[in-house]
Amino acid sequence: MSFLVLVPTKRVPDTDGVIRVTPDELDVDTSHLSFVINPFDAIAVEEALRLRERREDVEVVVVGIGGEAYEDELRTALAMGADRAIRVDAAEPLDPWNVACILSELARRLEPRLVLMGKQAVDDDSAQTGQFLAARLGWPQATFASRIDDSDHGAEVARETDHGIETLSVTWPAVITADLRLNEPRYASLPGILAARGKPIEEMSLEELGIEIEPRVELVGLQQVSSQRTGQQLETVTELLECLRENTELF
Amino acid sequence: MPTETLTREIFGNIGTVPKMIFYALAVIAGLIAIKTAWPRIRRWRSGRAVDSRHSAGQTVRAIFARVLSQSTLNRTRPAASRAHRCLFGGFAVLTLGTVLIAVEHVAALLAGREADQPVFHKGLYYAIYEPVMDLAGLAVLFGAGWFLVRRRRGDASIGHRGSDWMVLFALLFLGASGFLVEGLRIIEADSPGRWVSFVGAAVAGGLESVGVTREAAVVIHQFTWWLHAVVALGLLAAVPSTRLWHAVAGGVLLSRHPERPLGTMTPVTIEEVEATGVFGISQMDHLAIRQLVSLDACVSCGRCQDECPAHAAGKPLSPRQVVQDLAGQLRGIGSDSTPALAGGVVSEETLWSCTSCSACVEVCPLGVDPLELIIGMRRHLVGAGAVRGPAATALQKLGRSGNPWGLPPDQRMDWAEGLEVPTVDDQPDFEVLYWVGCAAAYDRQSRRTARAMVRLLQVAGVRFAVLGERERCTGESARRMGEEFVFAELAAHNVKELGQHDVTRIVTHCPHCLNSLKHDYPDAGGHYEVVHHSEFLSTLVDEGRLQVDRSAAETVTFHDPCYLARVNGIVDAPRDVLAATGAQLDELPRHGCRTACCGGGGGRMWLDDGPEDRVGRDRIKEITTAGAETVVVSCPFCRTMIGDGLATEGHSANVVDLAEVLFESLEETG
Repeated sequence: MSFLVLVPTKRVPDTDGVIRVTPDELDVDTSHLSFVINPFDAIAVEEALRLRERREDVEVVVVGIGGEAYEDELRTALAMGADRAIRVDAAEPLDPWNVACILSELARRLEPRLVLMGKQAVDDDSAQTGQFLAARLGWPQATFASRIDDSDHGAEVARETDHGIETLSVTWPAVITADLRLNEPRYASLPGILAARGKPIEEMSLEELGIEIEPRVELVGLQQVSSQRTGQQLETVTELLECLRENTELF
Repeated sequence: MPTETLTREIFGNIGTVPKMIFYALAVIAGLIAIKTAWPRIRRWRSGRAVDSRHSAGQTVRAIFARVLSQSTLNRTRPAASRAHRCLFGGFAVLTLGTVLIAVEHVAALLAGREADQPVFHKGLYYAIYEPVMDLAGLAVLFGAGWFLVRRRRGDASIGHRGSDWMVLFALLFLGASGFLVEGLRIIEADSPGRWVSFVGAAVAGGLESVGVTREAAVVIHQFTWWLHAVVALGLLAAVPSTRLWHAVAGGVLLSRHPERPLGTMTPVTIEEVEATGVFGISQMDHLAIRQLVSLDACVSCGRCQDECPAHAAGKPLSPRQVVQDLAGQLRGIGSDSTPALAGGVVSEETLWSCTSCSACVEVCPLGVDPLELIIGMRRHLVGAGAVRGPAATALQKLGRSGNPWGLPPDQRMDWAEGLEVPTVDDQPDFEVLYWVGCAAAYDRQSRRTARAMVRLLQVAGVRFAVLGERERCTGESARRMGEEFVFAELAAHNVKELGQHDVTRIVTHCPHCLNSLKHDYPDAGGHYEVVHHSEFLSTLVDEGRLQVDRSAAETVTFHDPCYLARVNGIVDAPRDVLAATGAQLDELPRHGCRTACCGGGGGRMWLDDGPEDRVGRDRIKEITTAGAETVVVSCPFCRTMIGDGLATEGHSANVVDLAEVLFESLEETG
């Protein structure tokens, strides 16, 4: 049996884009935005590909949960080198619990040895899905991984915490979430994307998976953070001190 | 002495049987040359036939204009170039002379004449022929001698192979033995007017003075004649297997293949990539015929390496080595086990070191184009996903946001705040489109260039417009990084926008945008008249549309951008503008078309380098040594690279664009 690595990926607005809230303050205005694979998920894809390069018999399957627009990002992951892709057709937004439900059902069916995903998505920054998923599956988890040393039975994972590097040992099957310093994803060029066109993207519906979405998070409203800059340029340190004295309670 | 009696016997002192043996040996030598040349020529023909070739007429013209004239040698290394002219010229004349002798010999045989009754090898013809041949012999001696001395010194900038010594000694020997044979023949034949062959006569005089009699000369002449003949025929047979082959391959390259203007690239379409599965160069059979010929033409003279700014900065790139490394793979063509070229034979780091400054292409006397090979291999790296770090990030940002900083397109007009800059929508009947470029749109330093530029245009009353938020990066650096498809996407967008607004004339302050719009966009279906702002402003000053106050003159230095000066030949216009402001120009040692690269081209602008590793460090030294307070630039990349470089050196010189200098000197602004 092959060593299957499942890599869930999320489609998020380009991090360079300027995020604007729609007038009803219930959604992000996506009309002028371009989309990318969540950068942490791209790191997870890269790590899965590296795992395949150093181990025998690894199959990398990327998953996207959402509408047809997800296919672009799945194609990019395939262009990077993933073997095949699955798109679970679902309406967004989905909260982390429901994503974990869908992923755990997929994991039951595909029986991966490893689910490798980004530690969080850069749009809502929840950082919960990996943990929920591991709990639902009853698998060991190692989150915020900055290094993965794999063996036949499991992996030593270095994870970045506020207090330093913590090293965990997990046994397969496991859930690992990727932090920024794990690797640098490879570049997906058009020839690569063209070459990836022959690779399959399988479609699944929630009904097929037998899942009913029960939202646990309700979106009440979104608010635009003011980006007005109030900085001013000062000539001397004395001026700076004066300014700080007047406007702050530092002195 | 009357010239009618001047002549000499062809094959004098050489009997009929030795003559026959000589001709037989000549045929054998020719056959050996053809036999060894044929596999090489067949290798060329295995290349991809992607480019146009000269017609017969153009080929003949090019043979005279580029090969026989040796005009492509002019650019650097005057001493070596002179020695080469001597060697080449001397050898060519001697070869021609030998052919004429053969013609005479055959003609005399056919006419049934005696050996001492030549058909045309006599009289005035002879009186010219002999001294010319002697001069040619001296030239060969000088050339071969000069190259031997240089090689003896162990010059590391030229390639060294064992056979190089053999070739040069053989040439030296041919020159020397030729004169010896001539001198001995003069003693032996005692033909009239010996001083016509002045070197031979001198040799004869010398030999006679050491006691060589006519009887002795008859014997020694035959011996040296044979030595001379055998070495000459041996050299002929060895042409395809020594560096002499460069004369054939280089001749073919220079005469058969049209010169490609600097700054142009070979396009590749997505359809081609889909059909062939090949993107860029990763194997020898991905090379075009012209490129395969060029690998054989490279004689490893090192002129390109002398000029390479990446090599000077200690990067692992030498254009010569790239070409030689690929040439080393020529033998492997057709076999199954050829190593990968991009990232294998030539390392990734080497390939990413190139700034595409085009100095190597411009300087090569044989028309070799190392830049095209480097970008071809970069294409392969990009296609294979083997591009990481800041290079990959810049390409991704270009693809997503249409500018290398990844900033939103709706911030493209932020630079123009408070200036009332008309867009193509505000001012549809503009006479010229001002192409702003990403640097001036997003980079705080370069914004000053664009702001000065539009104020100049406004003062001069030019009806201009900008594309505004519709503009995207031209894709210039993406293309030179080998990302042909991000370039194609950006170019398609821009060509569409420019077409929709009937743009025919473009002015830009960015030489990279200029070169791309001029040389890259025809590949994407865009044809425009593109002028640099230096040219445009110079015209406005000439026409009196800008009134310049010359009183605030200061001494400045000017840095020529590669893509303006070397690649597009625009050298005078920026100087005219500076002169109009009354500024005293203190020229840098390397200026004009021989400028030195700042390090920002070819996508290197987007690669991280420590201050000590930056390409262009030597240029910064040159600028600080010149000592001017103000460094005038006319390229946004140069502005950043030189500004950063000077700051790193702790140098306080002011880096400004040409447009700012002119704007500051306007009478109105005082």
